[in-house]
Amino acid sequence: MLGELVAGAAGGLVLIQDTVDCEGRSLLKTFVAASVRRGESVHVFGFEIPEEEFRAGFDPDVAAQLLYQDGFTDPLCWNGKTGGFRVEEFSVLGVVTRLQRGPVGSATIILDSLSWLLLRRPVPALCQTLAQIPRAAANAGLRVTRIVVLLHGDLHPLGLVDTLHSLARAVVWVGPAPEGMRSKEDAHQLASMLQRKGSGKVVKKEEYFSILTGFTLKAFGEPTRNTPPDEDADSHSAVDTAAYLTFNLQLSDTERQARDRVPLPFHFSAQKKSSLLEASAGTGKIYYEPDATDDLDEEDPDDDLDV
Amino acid sequence: MAALATGGATSSDGATSFQRKVPANSRLATIAGTRPSVRHGQLLLSSGLPSLDCVLGGGLAVGTLLLIGEDKYNIYSSLLFKYFLAEGIVCGHNLFVASAKEDPADILKELPAPILDDVHKKQLDEEESAVISKQESRESMKIAWRYQNLPKMEVSPAVSARFGHYYDLSKTLSPELLQSRKWHRFFLPEELSLQSEIKTCNMTCGYTRLLQSIQRIICQEGFDGSYPQKKQKNILRIGIQSLGSVLWGDDICCTDNPEYIHSLTTFLYVLRGLLRMSLSACIITVPSHLIQNKAIMERVTNLSDTVVGLESFIGSERETNPLYKDYHGLIHVHQIPQLNSLICDVSGTKDLAFRLKRKLFSIERLHLPPDLSDTVSRSSKQDLAESTKLLSSGCGAMATGKKHLDF
Repeated sequence: MLGELVAGAAGGLVLIQDTVDCEGRSLLKTFVAASVRRGESVHVFGFEIPEEEFRAGFDPDVAAQLLYQDGFTDPLCWNGKTGGFRVEEFSVLGVVTRLQRGPVGSATIILDSLSWLLLRRPVPALCQTLAQIPRAAANAGLRVTRIVVLLHGDLHPLGLVDTLHSLARAVVWVGPAPEGMRSKEDAHQLASMLQRKGSGKVVKKEEYFSILTGFTLKAFGEPTRNTPPDEDADSHSAVDTAAYLTFNLQLSDTERQARDRVPLPFHFSAQKKSSLLEASAGTGKIYYEPDATDDLDEEDPDDDLDV
Repeated sequence: MAALATGGATSSDGATSFQRKVPANSRLATIAGTRPSVRHGQLLLSSGLPSLDCVLGGGLAVGTLLLIGEDKYNIYSSLLFKYFLAEGIVCGHNLFVASAKEDPADILKELPAPILDDVHKKQLDEEESAVISKQESRESMKIAWRYQNLPKMEVSPAVSARFGHYYDLSKTLSPELLQSRKWHRFFLPEELSLQSEIKTCNMTCGYTRLLQSIQRIICQEGFDGSYPQKKQKNILRIGIQSLGSVLWGDDICCTDNPEYIHSLTTFLYVLRGLLRMSLSACIITVPSHLIQNKAIMERVTNLSDTVVGLESFIGSERETNPLYKDYHGLIHVHQIPQLNSLICDVSGTKDLAFRLKRKLFSIERLHLPPDLSDTVSRSSKQDLAESTKLLSSGCGAMATGKKHLDF
């Protein structure tokens, strides 16, 4: 799944969260390299490390195509020189202006890092800016396919991190692989991923990976789960209740057919049934056949008058 | 009884042939899609989900606010939001949709289509004729042969009910139906770009704009009774998505000590005043799992009328728990309003779970089996906390962690 994410499966906001134990900038650069190789224009807004350090390690053709906005050298514009990216310039208008300097077409925005901006700008305005950049760029004629940002999870309170996760389409937590894995298979890092698909489905996965030179990704498989077997399941297995009886509860085939052939108490023959069913709409009729001893007298039906 | 049933099925709308004799001049003007409540006499609206209407005591009263606490990935709460709006479209009410994340036109395009009775009835008729033609090959009933000639009545979820409809999530509402209804929109990025930022009376700019917009619509369209000569009254259904999230400009989700801690509560206070004086009802979804300060959520609950919290099992450890394998999540009813009465009808059961199928979102009572494992007499402290969380799934479980008071 990590390979698909790097290859561009997720649009919108993609968040890479790293910790003190394991840095995520190399995974961010992997996203950059894959994006450049796909032919998209990549705008990098760098704040934490100088430009040369960011460009180091890329292939020369990849590095040449990066459109770098330098927010590291002089973010508050103290030197008075123009050309760098000032921190106030990170608004919808400022970002779209910078994007328009690049070629038209699909663009990917890389932020290195979002933590730096979160510590210097008001948080709600920054989140609103991130959400509105694709829409404003579309109005200006560009198409921003994804925004990949790096977040240092240790620097922010938990609520802020959860809020950012709710805004993002895909989140990748980067951590060190456990000790055993590292020696065996040369997998250096463990990535836990969460992706919200368009239909509302949420996919969660974990994978080992390592980054090769030139910032290509090598993904290993998922970690195997070592859960203890569930003891409760064995005791509640289906008990065959008919196995230990002294009388026979089962039916053979001939017995079953014989049972079907037994006439049921209210099962009339077909003609009588149909005649009863059809005559149900009429009035009720009483059929009476007088016996031999019956003496019907219309004037004295109860036979008690002394006549 | 059987004859009555057959007589009833052949009439046009499934009603019985009994007609209530009402003198002509005392006929009350009824608004489509509403019915009076039998408990407290208020006019009730359907929330879009018949099972939620049962839980809330018949429906949502006109002039009240339904607050939904979102689940972690906002899947089921957005579904409830869409059901509410779709019910408004089907009943012919006016809509007001406000959002800071998605364009309201996009939200309305994704509303589910209702399962209508006449469509289903046509299917029934086709089925019946197919059945009668194949009567010889059909197996006759052996014991209950008296009922053989009666037509087959399908017990299906699409029972004729003008109050509360069922929706099919795989289909969307037809655009013609959408265009025939009147709806209003509020999309925060558009509104903010139009005018400059203003902050009034403790509320963030987005909330102020939203309240002004709602008030303007209520006055202009006459929902507050300002046009008495208008014969046909209608209801305004207001839907606000993800209020309190960071995209509305509010920081209660980000920090423990937000700058405008009373912003959301002031908004709800003013909104409820607007709702009470007009023929409208409102649904708001709030990301309650992100709000850091628990006191804010308590105040928000107090200031709303009906509060329902959703908890989905996706991604949590409960997903693999065999007790919950049939269900997709839990519903917690935190508050039901007391309108014109001293008590509210709180149902006895507090364990409600929901399950989503394509045509039905059902809310059922959760039956927990008795704990027959060996360790039931010697449960450790951890298990005790877990079991109390399971059995009393009220809002106390949200606030506390697994720690457990020890004397």
